[in-house]
Amino acid sequence: MKSQLSVVGHRARRVDGVKLATGRGTFTDDIHIRGLLHAKLLKSPHAHARIISIDTSEAEALPGVRAVITHENVPRIPYTSAGQSWPEPSPYDMYVLDRKVRFIGDAVAAVAAETPEIAERATQLIRVEYEPLPAVLDFHDAMNDGAPLIHDETESYGIYDPAHNVAAHIDVEHGDVARGLAEADIVVENEFFVQYQQHTCLEPHVTIALFDEDRRLVLRTSTQIPYHCRRMIAFALEIPVKDVHVIKPRVGGGFGNKQEVVTEPISAVLAMRTGRPVKLEYTRLEEFTIARNRHPQHIRLSTGIRRDGTILANSLNVLTNTGPYGTHALTVTGNTGTKPLPLYRSPNVKFYADIVYTNLPIAGAFRGYGAPQGFFAMEVQMDEVAEAAGMDPLEFRKLNHIRQGDTDLMSAAAGEGAGKKARVIHSSGLPECIERGAAAIGWHEKRGKPGDGPIKRGVGMAILMQGSGVAGDELAAATIRMNEDASFNLHVGSADIGTGSDTTLCQIAAEVLGVSIEDIVIRSGNTDDITFDYGAYASSTAYITGTCVLKAAEDARNQIVNQAARMLQEDPEGLLVHEGAVRSLSGKSVTLQEIALECLYGEDKTVVIGKGTHATKESPPPFVAMFVEVEVDTETGQVRPVEVVSAVDVGKALNPDICEGQVEGAVAQGLGYALTEEIQVGPDGQVLNPSFMDYKIFCAADMPRLTTILVEAEEPTGPFGAKSVAEIAINGPAPAVSNAIYDAVGIRLHSLPMTAEKVLAALEEKQQS
Amino acid sequence: MKPAPFVYRDPATVAEALEALAEYGDEGKILAGGQSLVPLLNMRLAQPQALIDLNRIADLQYVEERSHNGAAGLAFGAMTRQTAVEEHAEPIPLLHEAISWVGHPQIRNRGTIGGSIAHADPAAELPLVFLTLNGAATMQSRSGERVVPAEEFFLFTCTPDVEPDEIVTDVWLPLPLPRTGQAFLEVARRHGDFALVAAAVSLTLDPNGMIADARIALGGTAPTPMRAVRAEASLKGLAPGEDAFDEAAHQAADATEPTGDIHADAEYRRDVAAALVHRALQTAHERVGVAA
Ligand SMILES: Cc1cc2nc3c(=O)[nH]c(=O)nc-3n(C[C@H](O)[C@H](O)[C@H](O)COP(=O)(O)OP(=O)(O)OC[C@H]3O[C@@H](n4cnc5c(N)ncnc54)[C@H](O)[C@@H]3O)c2cc1C
Repeated sequence: MKSQLSVVGHRARRVDGVKLATGRGTFTDDIHIRGLLHAKLLKSPHAHARIISIDTSEAEALPGVRAVITHENVPRIPYTSAGQSWPEPSPYDMYVLDRKVRFIGDAVAAVAAETPEIAERATQLIRVEYEPLPAVLDFHDAMNDGAPLIHDETESYGIYDPAHNVAAHIDVEHGDVARGLAEADIVVENEFFVQYQQHTCLEPHVTIALFDEDRRLVLRTSTQIPYHCRRMIAFALEIPVKDVHVIKPRVGGGFGNKQEVVTEPISAVLAMRTGRPVKLEYTRLEEFTIARNRHPQHIRLSTGIRRDGTILANSLNVLTNTGPYGTHALTVTGNTGTKPLPLYRSPNVKFYADIVYTNLPIAGAFRGYGAPQGFFAMEVQMDEVAEAAGMDPLEFRKLNHIRQGDTDLMSAAAGEGAGKKARVIHSSGLPECIERGAAAIGWHEKRGKPGDGPIKRGVGMAILMQGSGVAGDELAAATIRMNEDASFNLHVGSADIGTGSDTTLCQIAAEVLGVSIEDIVIRSGNTDDITFDYGAYASSTAYITGTCVLKAAEDARNQIVNQAARMLQEDPEGLLVHEGAVRSLSGKSVTLQEIALECLYGEDKTVVIGKGTHATKESPPPFVAMFVEVEVDTETGQVRPVEVVSAVDVGKALNPDICEGQVEGAVAQGLGYALTEEIQVGPDGQVLNPSFMDYKIFCAADMPRLTTILVEAEEPTGPFGAKSVAEIAINGPAPAVSNAIYDAVGIRLHSLPMTAEKVLAALEEKQQS
Repeated sequence: MKPAPFVYRDPATVAEALEALAEYGDEGKILAGGQSLVPLLNMRLAQPQALIDLNRIADLQYVEERSHNGAAGLAFGAMTRQTAVEEHAEPIPLLHEAISWVGHPQIRNRGTIGGSIAHADPAAELPLVFLTLNGAATMQSRSGERVVPAEEFFLFTCTPDVEPDEIVTDVWLPLPLPRTGQAFLEVARRHGDFALVAAAVSLTLDPNGMIADARIALGGTAPTPMRAVRAEASLKGLAPGEDAFDEAAHQAADATEPTGDIHADAEYRRDVAAALVHRALQTAHERVGVAA
C-alpha cells in the first residue's frame, strides 16, 4: 500500500496557500458588517484590588457609546477560559467581569461604541474606586501562611486549595523513589527556572459577535476550539447550545493562546446588550499584557543511577505560576512531568507539583503544553547525570531511553490521561533519529573541541517525546459528500489555525477516494456543519481528525463502489477506486462522474455522504533527537546557534513540507524561549516589555541553519501510519543549546532565557572558582 | 496606535522647509526617513503640531567627495538614505562596517544619515561613527549656515546641537589617513537591535609602526555616544600590542557611565565595553596596511 500512495506522503501545495500568500484569505476581521460596534476594555491599574464602586454615567453619556458593562450588570457565572473537553479539568475561577481585579490589566469594564476611538475615550470616563489589596508578586510566596488570597470568593469551584492559593496539585509515584535514590551509586540534584513566554501570534485575539435573523448568537472568532467555544459560551452565558453558532475563519496563529475563550464572552455580552454586531480585538499591547503566556516554573530534579549508567530513580518537583486564573493549570503542569519522565526507563519515578495563583500575568496553554519546561530541566539533567557516570550523553541516552513495546506508566497516573489506561509504545523511530541526527551534526567529530580564541564552539543534544492528542480524551466527526463533477465537500470540525491541517485532511480524503486534492472542497471549524471536534490542540488534528476523515472517506468510497458494482454488474469485492474511476479486475470501468450523476439523477437516487467519527485511548508519541551547534563568545557572553538538526519520527509524513514547516517553526519559537524571549514583570506586577521592540523573538536574521530529518516509524494506530508533529520540536532548543554551551565553555545554565548577561556572569563565576 | 492629528507640509526646497519650520517654531518637527519619528508619533510620545517632510527635497540627497579643513572626506546630503550611504561607504571602512548594523535593510531603505545623526540616539551606530571620526554637520536656518564638529554635536540623550529653526543639511566624514586601520564591533540582543554596547576604533600608526593617533568611542554606555579620551591618550606613541590594548580597553570601560535596563545591567555593559574596545583595537591594528 505504502508505495502506491498518490496524494498522501507527497508535498502537496497547501489548499489555502495561494489565497493566503496573495492576501485573499479572510480572517475574522476581514469582512464588513453593517452597524458594527467596537469594544474596548477598561483595565485594572492594580495587581490586586476590590472594586468599591464604579460610575459609568459619564461614559454612557458620551455620544456614540451604545453600552457599558461592569460586574454590576453582567451575569456572574464562574467559568474557565481553558478550551478543554467537558467538564474542564481547570478551575472555574473566572467571571465575564468581577468585583475584584487580580492582576494589572484585569478587565474592569467594557464599552461598545460606534468607533474604537469613542469606545477608548469612554473607558477613560469610567470612575472606579478601588480598595487596593496586598498582592502575591513572587510565586514562591503564594502558599505562605498569611499570603493574600486571590480567590477568596465562594462561587468559584474546582480550585485545589483556595486557602493557600493552590489552583491544582499533583502527587504521583511509581515504585519507591526514596529507596531508589538511597540505593543509587550516584545521585544528581538540580534546580531549574523557566520564564513567561508569549505566543506572539501574528493575528491577535479577535471576535465579532452578532445575533442573526433567527436570534442566534454568531461568534466569528479567531479560535483553536470552535466546538468547545460554543459549549463554553452557552454555559457561561446561560443560553442553549443550539443558539450559538461559532465560525472559525482563517486564523493567524494560535500556539495555544487561542485554546481559550478570551475575547468571546465580552463581545457576546455586548452584542446581547446592544442588539448590534460587536467586535472586540486585542491590541498588541493587550496581547503582551492580558492574553496568555507559557507558565513560569521552578523545577527540581533528583536522579539516582547505578555505576553502569542505568537509572534507578527519577524525581521531579515543580512549582508553577499560573497567574491570577487557573486556566490549564493542572494539565499543563501535568505534561511537565508526563512527557519527559517516561522518556527514561526507571523503576522508581515520582512527580510532585503545586500550581499556584499569583497577581501576575495569566499563564495558559502554549505549544508544547508544559513539556518545554519539563524537557529543559530533564534534558540538561540527563547531560549532567551522563557526565557524573562518565558517559557520553548520547550513549547515556541510548542506554536509558524508552523503547518500542514499553509501557508509559506516567500516562495513566497524572495529567490529562489521569485514571486511564497506560499507553504502550507501538512504534518508535528514536534510535534512528539519534543515529541520523548525530551523523548530520557531526557529533563525534565536534564534541569536546571548543577551539582556540575567545569564541568557542560546542554541540549539545536533547531527545524528546510528545503525544498525538490527549490519550482517551479526543473526539472528532467529519462528513463528506460527492457532487456531480466527482468533487467532494469535506466538512471537519477541526481548526486549521495556520498549521496546514486542512491540506493534510484533504490529502487523506483524496487518497482514499482516488481523486486529486483539487477535487476536495474543505470547510473546517464551523459548528453549524455536521461535524464535531475537540479542536486544534495537543497535536491532535492529523492523528485524530485524520483518522476520522479516513473513516468518512472510506464510508463514501464503499457507497461509490456499491453504486459502481450495480452499474458495471460486478461484485463490489473486486472493484478498485483509482484516478477518478472505479475499475474491475476484468477491465470494465466507470468514472466517478458517471457514478455521481447516476446517484443524484438516475434510477435509485441517493446522495453519497460518508461519515466518520473517531475517538481513541491511544496517544502515540512522536520522537525527536535534536542536535545544536553553538558559538559562545567568552568575552561578551553572546551565544549564536550555528545549526539545529532535528531528526523527527512522525510515523508517516502525510505531507513532508507541512511536517518540516511545523518543525522549523517550533525550532524558531524554541530558540526564542532558550535565548531571548521573556515577558519581564516589574516589582509591582507590571509587564515591562509589552512590544516587539522589547520582547525579542527569533527573526529570520537570527536563525541558524536548519536541517530537518523526517523518520517514519509507522504507527499502527495512526492514519497511514502517522503520528503528530506540531508541538514536539519546541521542547528541544532550550536543553540542547544549554548542553551545547556546556560543551563549548563548561558552564551549566539552568535558567531561561540564556541571555549574554547570564552567560558572562556564569563564565566569571567559573573563572573565580 | 495612531498619531495625534498634525499639520503636514512637504516643501520642495530647503528654503521652503525653513519657512515652514519658522512658522511652527518649537511645535514643528522635521520628518526624514520616519524610522524613529513615526514610531514616536504612533506611540504618542511625540505630538508635534506640524510635520515638515523633507522627502521631496532632491537637493538633500547626494554623496560627494569634499575636503573640510584640509582633510579629504565624503559629504552626504542629510536626506541620503542609509542604503545609499552603505553603497558608497567603502572608502571609510568604519562607516562601511558600522552601517550594516543599523536595523534591517528595510529600515535602511527609508532611514537617512541626517535623521540618524539628528536623532542622536546614544546607542545608534551612525552617530558613533560620526563622533569617532570627528565629522562635521552643517545646519541651515533662515539666518544662515553653521558647521558643527561632531565632538561638539551631541549634548545629551537624543539631544543634538540643532536649534528648533535649523535643518541638518549635510554630514561630512573624513577618509582615513595612510597607515590607518578601523574597526566597529557591537553587542545587541539580536541582529538589528539597538546596541547594548558598540565600540568604534580608528588607529593610525606612524612610519615607525608606533601609534600616532587612536580614536576610540563607545555607544550605549552613556547619555550620548562618548569618546574614551584617556584611553586614546594612553596609546599615543606606544607600540601596538596586547599590553597597550589591554590598558586602553580598561581605561575606556572605566570612563563609561552605563545605566541598566531590561535588556542588560550596567555591569554587563561595562564588562562588554572593555572586551569590545580590546577586540576592536586588535582588529583595527590587523587592518593597518591592508587598506593601504
Ligand atoms: C525596527 C527598527 C530598528 C532600528 N534599528 C536601528 C539600529 O539598530 N541602529 C540605529 O542607529 N537605528 C536604528 N533604527 C532607527 C533608524 O536608523 C532611523 O532611520 C534613524 O534613527 C532616524 O533616521 P530617519 O531618517 O528615519 O529620521 P526620522 O525618524 O524621520 O527623524 C528622527 C528625528 O530626527 C529629526 N530629523 C530628521 N532629519 C532631520 C534633519 N535633516 N534636520 C533636523 N532634524 C532632523 C526628526 O525631527 C526626528 O526628531 C531602527 C528603526 C526601526 C524602526
